[in-house]
Amino acid sequence: MKSRSLRWQFLLPAILLAGLLVLPEVGLSPNALRLLFVSFVWIIASLAWNLLGGYAGQVSFGFAVFNGIGAYVAAMLIDNGRLHPYLAFLAAGVAAAIASVLIGLPTFRLRGPYFAIATIGVSEAIRVVATNVDFTGGASGYRITESRQFNQLEHYYCAMFVAAVAVATTYLISRHKFGLGLMAINQDEDAAADSGVNPFAYKLKAHAIAAFFTGIAGGLFARYAAYIHPNGVFGFHNSVQILLMPVIGGLGTVWGPVLGGVVVGVIEEEIVAYFPQAHLLIYGGLLIIIVLFEPGGIVGGLRRLARWIRRVLERGPGTPAADTPSEQADEVLWGTGSGPGR
Amino acid sequence: MTLADIANLVVAAVLLAGIYAVMSVGMTVIYGVMKIVNLAHAGFMMLGAYIALEFFERLHLDPILAALATFPIMVIVGGFVHFTLVRWLPRSDQPTLPSLLLMFGLWLVLQNLGYLIWGNTDRSIFTPRTFDVIHLGPVVIPTIRLYVFIAGLGCVLLLEALLNWTWFGRALRALVQNPYAGRIVGIDDEKIAGLTFGLGIGFAGLAGALLASLYSFNPDFGRPFLIRAFVIIVLGGLESVSGVAIGALVLALVETFTIIWLPAGYQLAISFGLLVLVLIVLPGGIASLLGRVRRLA
Amino acid sequence: MNKLTKFFGGLAAVRDVSFEVRRGQIFGFIGPNGAGKTTLFSMIAGAQKPTSGQIICRGKDVTGLRSFRLIHEGIARTHQVVRPFRNMTVLENVEVGAYFGRQGADHKSVPEKAMEILRSVGLQDYADTPAYVLSVGNHKKLEVARALATGPEILLCDEICGGLTHAETAAMLELLRQIRDRGVTILYVEHDVKAITAICDRILVLNYGQKLAEDTPEQVQLDPAVIEAYLGVAPKGWDNA
Repeated sequence: MKSRSLRWQFLLPAILLAGLLVLPEVGLSPNALRLLFVSFVWIIASLAWNLLGGYAGQVSFGFAVFNGIGAYVAAMLIDNGRLHPYLAFLAAGVAAAIASVLIGLPTFRLRGPYFAIATIGVSEAIRVVATNVDFTGGASGYRITESRQFNQLEHYYCAMFVAAVAVATTYLISRHKFGLGLMAINQDEDAAADSGVNPFAYKLKAHAIAAFFTGIAGGLFARYAAYIHPNGVFGFHNSVQILLMPVIGGLGTVWGPVLGGVVVGVIEEEIVAYFPQAHLLIYGGLLIIIVLFEPGGIVGGLRRLARWIRRVLERGPGTPAADTPSEQADEVLWGTGSGPGR
Repeated sequence: MTLADIANLVVAAVLLAGIYAVMSVGMTVIYGVMKIVNLAHAGFMMLGAYIALEFFERLHLDPILAALATFPIMVIVGGFVHFTLVRWLPRSDQPTLPSLLLMFGLWLVLQNLGYLIWGNTDRSIFTPRTFDVIHLGPVVIPTIRLYVFIAGLGCVLLLEALLNWTWFGRALRALVQNPYAGRIVGIDDEKIAGLTFGLGIGFAGLAGALLASLYSFNPDFGRPFLIRAFVIIVLGGLESVSGVAIGALVLALVETFTIIWLPAGYQLAISFGLLVLVLIVLPGGIASLLGRVRRLA
Repeated sequence: MNKLTKFFGGLAAVRDVSFEVRRGQIFGFIGPNGAGKTTLFSMIAGAQKPTSGQIICRGKDVTGLRSFRLIHEGIARTHQVVRPFRNMTVLENVEVGAYFGRQGADHKSVPEKAMEILRSVGLQDYADTPAYVLSVGNHKKLEVARALATGPEILLCDEICGGLTHAETAAMLELLRQIRDRGVTILYVEHDVKAITAICDRILVLNYGQKLAEDTPEQVQLDPAVIEAYLGVAPKGWDNA
């Protein structure tokens, strides 16, 4: 495909990765490490959701269920050293993936918003069950006791590693057959089927991969926090946050979810400090603004900016306002809207 | 279980169905005309509940009257929301992703506004009448539920009348069936969409206001009802008021009777399980079954 | 040998329609509006299930299979109302067909294969443009290209000349001939009688869901029942558009 930009494409992420690897050595406060750890966990979930919601266009409002399942499975396996934490994380991911198939079988018969609402229902139903069932600790939650000492650096590197894997996975998917199939389903599910794509199977697969990563994210967090309870890990606000990040950052892109994760992370920190009551207001407002003005999220906005700059440089003042067709090719996978920003 | 018990449960279910119908009708109407699935529905219900609360506490209005008074206010609110936000959405015959996310964002905003204005403690509307009951033979009916039912039913019937006998209603039904044809014959679909949206929100607010007399509430109370509304709509089919009534009745019956065996906490899971079951067996909802019956006849 | 597509009765829209198609034929379907052409087609294409009857392809019963499974049997379709993947590029549209078609190509060869197909329909200059900017004529070509990319043995063309100018129609028909010469059997539903009579080896006429006639174009045009049902068929013979 485009090979001259290939080197640039890999250079920046490589630098970023190297930087993150080295950062703790340079010296970071425990609070900064915590912040980065939490960001990584959210970024994992964000990238995961983006696979199903961004590329395939199936918007799920119930990803908290995978977060929760991952958290509980990991918690119960790590507790008292029953299983090595890393294996527990894998198990958490697999458990979430299996759950995703069970959930997907009935719900993927629905399209669009019906699917979205159905996922809310599933997530809430499971939250309710988890609150009432005993062996998970019920409403009082579950506490993990580990014999190994708490090593913040270990958590940091674990999360970073998984996040990097998630980024790589997203990149690979977007470049190959699987990603193309998902995008085709997003554009027109029936036409995709008429071209040979098996929509149901593909949706299930994307769902499973997304659930896998989200489950691991849940597990990572559970181990870090050492205590989880149903309203925390299965809570609806988790589903909200998970979907908010890719939407803000840019659906259907590789770095959009990452940027979205960073933005949301920053907002979380600042809000907690200054405007604790305006939490939902800011998220809701952001969502509305993005839908109406820049459906491509941050990445979409940056691309438009880059195009505008390029055009101004090429032709000087008096440039036409509209994009040429090949420029429009860079737009993300949304319908053509007539929002006030256009 | 005696016959009297069963009778009581059935009556309770019917009363419950009434209010479920009011709640779902708003969503149905908006979906029918604009193909927008209104996730903010729960937020508007909450708003309606709180407005009714204000009427009750400040003006000492009877709760039912307060609910009815809330209706026009919410219609205006709906029209305003449409004018500022909703009409910019991309037009389509199918529900779109932007509409979904916009309504969701709106829901979050409404919830937060609720918390900011009214705080997050539970509120409720209490009158001396709240605990009254009427006895019809062996059946015991709490009067407040009866009044709520009657008010709700009245409004739904008014809606049916509106849809079938007025110009607006006809225009609305035309747009539901075929938006393009509607536009060609001169229906101003922007205006109708705005009015419809207002109407839908009005009903959402009304439902919330009526519920306020029955249960305690806080800004988050919409979510289980949103899910119920959805279950009802899928059960009853998305495009008719009678479908909604049937769906509401089925759900109410299921909920009322399963309480006998399961703790109340599981109720939501049950409703939801019902939905999943129906979807697996009948992808078009129960209404598609009825449609098939009608076609064969 | 023969590629038989034997097909019996269906919904109320289509009643007891049977026919056989030989490999390498261009087999057309015409009929007045409401005759059931679209229903017939959607049954063959896997969008709807026949109430009764069978579709047999190369001896295998493919009745009721979903469209993506039919792709693997070698049956591909174009859509009457074009359905491109709007926000994907033209090349990507065709790549979907190539990846998910019968031969299932791999990462390396797909872009080339897709470009080749684009060249064969004349869309190579549009490879990197998003699909939604195309004109109607090019949209139709894209439909054909994407379907071709799946490597079909049977191509179902649903009113592929709908909305095209005279010249565009001629070009499209020529394209269909080329496709047939490459060994693909074509089933063609069309409204434009001139186009159909110009290109088809055999034509089946539908009316009120039933088979009215099935024969060569010349014979069909002379059939009095057809003339009666479908006013506008020139009784004097046919011309090459």
